[in-house]
Amino acid sequence: MNISPTEAEESLAAIQAMVQKTRRSISSSGAYLFLIIWGCIWLVGFMGSQFLPAPINGWLWLVLDTIGGVLSAIVGIRMGQQVRSTTHNHSGKRIGAFWLLLFLYCIAAITVAWPVDGKQASMFIILFVMVGWLAMSLLYSFTPVWVGLAFTGISLVGYFLLPEYFYLWMAILGGGGLIALGLYIRYRW
Amino acid sequence: MAELNETIHQPVRLRIMAALVTLSPGDEVEFTYLRQLLDVTDGNLGAHLRKLEEATYITLNKVFVDRKPRTFVSATLRGRAVFAEHVKALEEILKSKK
Repeated sequence: MNISPTEAEESLAAIQAMVQKTRRSISSSGAYLFLIIWGCIWLVGFMGSQFLPAPINGWLWLVLDTIGGVLSAIVGIRMGQQVRSTTHNHSGKRIGAFWLLLFLYCIAAITVAWPVDGKQASMFIILFVMVGWLAMSLLYSFTPVWVGLAFTGISLVGYFLLPEYFYLWMAILGGGGLIALGLYIRYRW
Repeated sequence: MAELNETIHQPVRLRIMAALVTLSPGDEVEFTYLRQLLDVTDGNLGAHLRKLEEATYITLNKVFVDRKPRTFVSATLRGRAVFAEHVKALEEILKSKK
């Protein structure tokens, strides 16, 4: 079989375009949606923590977390219907169990440290989420390690250096950062 | 010197293989989703998948999900190897031009 260099070039371009389209559409479909969903929740939730009174803010977080959990489940189920992994089925269940246990450990840690104020409780949750993020990065390469470390650093800087504006800091840099990362994966990856 | 593969070189089959090898080995994609990704008709995609399956470059896994028949498609190890060689052959042709 013989083809011209022009045809070879066109074929390689078609392959490259398809690989990129597949990555965006399939490989990154879950990652970017999870990041945008939880970025929006952090943005709205931490804005509420900064500007709303405590009782309303507690309910706001409860509603937002419920919405986030439901949307994440829908995205996860949709992803499973489009792409199935015959080798990672057990990993999926282990990942789910890991996040559930991490959540329970986080509640246990907050309970042990009680009484804690809102900022301390938020920082506990952020640190536990970041531990989960780093575990996913190091074990499964789902997300870059440096992003998890950067978020942790940003959160600690806000907590220790800008306590008055901690929630606002987390809303813009934490929530906004997650949304920006999600959009970056969607359109540039 | 790497060799071109006539079965894979057909434009739709080339794009099918490019999409499938992008997935991790062992991952399989649903037929309807692949059709949307490639922007082809059911019949067209089905015909090309049969050709690739006959060549043992892909496997079609027909299952029932919620009592509905679903077909999942994945590249075989042989399919991945042949596709990689095809890409290498294309690159060699391009290099020989320069």
